[in-house]
Amino acid sequence: MKELTQKQIFDYLFNNGIENFIGVPDSTMKYFIDQGFKKNKILITTKEEESIGIAVGMSLSQSNSLVFMQNAGFANSLSTITSLIQLYQIPIIFLIGWRGFLKNDAPEHTKIGKIQPKLLQALSLQSKIINEKNWKASCDWALKLIKEKKPCTLILKRDFLD
Amino acid sequence: MIRKVAISTVVKKVGSHPIISANGFISRDLFEVCDKNSNFYMIGSMGLASSIGLGVALKNTKKKIFVFDGDGNILMNIGSLITIGITKPKNLVHVIFDNSSHESTGGQPTATNKIQLSKIAKSVNYKVFQVKTKNQLVKILQKIKLIPGPIMIIIKIEKGGVISKRINIEPTKIKNRFMDSLTK
Repeated sequence: MKELTQKQIFDYLFNNGIENFIGVPDSTMKYFIDQGFKKNKILITTKEEESIGIAVGMSLSQSNSLVFMQNAGFANSLSTITSLIQLYQIPIIFLIGWRGFLKNDAPEHTKIGKIQPKLLQALSLQSKIINEKNWKASCDWALKLIKEKKPCTLILKRDFLD
Repeated sequence: MIRKVAISTVVKKVGSHPIISANGFISRDLFEVCDKNSNFYMIGSMGLASSIGLGVALKNTKKKIFVFDGDGNILMNIGSLITIGITKPKNLVHVIFDNSSHESTGGQPTATNKIQLSKIAKSVNYKVFQVKTKNQLVKILQKIKLIPGPIMIIIKIEKGGVISKRINIEPTKIKNRFMDSLTK
C-alpha cells in the first residue's frame, strides 16, 4: 500500500478516537507506524501478546487501542485472542500484515500466509482486507465495531517483494 | 508463608486500588480472600497480568495499580518487564508470589531459584524488594507508599495450602465491574 494512504489511515483512526497504537513492527505497514511515531503515539513491545495485554488494560480504562503486527505475530497470539480478547469481549482493532499473500514472498511466510484466512474464520474474528479504495469505509467499519464493544481485524496485504 | 497468607497480607494494604491478578491459584486465592469489583481476575492468557497492569497504570495515573503475578507467569512474559522499564509507570506495584513452581499445574519447578529475577528487574528500572516473612512484607508495603514506581516486590512463598475455589463470575462481568471501579 502507498505511503500516503498508510499515513492517511493512521491519521483517520487517530482522529476518530483510537488513542493507542501498540504492536510489533511489520514492513508491510512501515509508513503507518512512521506516522504514529511522528505523533508520538506508538508503543513497540517485545512480543505481540504483550501488545494485546497492554491494549486490554487501556481498553478497560475506556481508552481505545489498535494493535499492529505481522501475521507471524497473529499466529503467536491465538490463545490470547481466544482466552482474553474473546472471553472477556474486549473491543480492540487488530491491524495485521499479510505476509505470504504473494506466492513468491519469503519462504517462512508461505504457510501462515496460506492459512491466515482460515485461522480468522476459525476464530470468528471479523476482518476486512483494506486497500487503496476501501480504506476509509473499512476504518469506519472497524470504528463502528469498537463502539459496539467488539474486536475486529484490518488486514493489509504485503503486495511487494524486497 | 504460603500464598494465601501472602495474598491476604498484601490485600489489606491495597485498599480500593485496582488489582490485576494472574491466572491459576493466584486469582483463585484472591477471589476467596477478598473479592472486590476492583479485582481483575485474568483467568486465561497466562503471562499477561503484567501487561494488562501496565495498560491500566498508564491510563490511570492517579490510582496505584497492583499486579499479582506468579513466578511462572512472569517468566512466560519476561519481555513485559522491558516495556514496563521503558514506560516507567510511577503508579505500578508488581508483586511476584514466588514459590519457584507451577503450583497450579501440579508443582513442577520454575527457574526462579536458579536465576535472579531481582537483578533482571533492577536492570530494567524497577525498584526491587524481596521478602520472606509476613513482618518483612508488612514493612515493605508501608515503605513503598512513598516510593515512585515501577516497584517489584518478590515474596518468597512456600508451596501448599488448601486449594481455593474457582472464580464463578462470568468473565464479562469481571470486566464490567472492574471498568466501573476505575471510573470511581
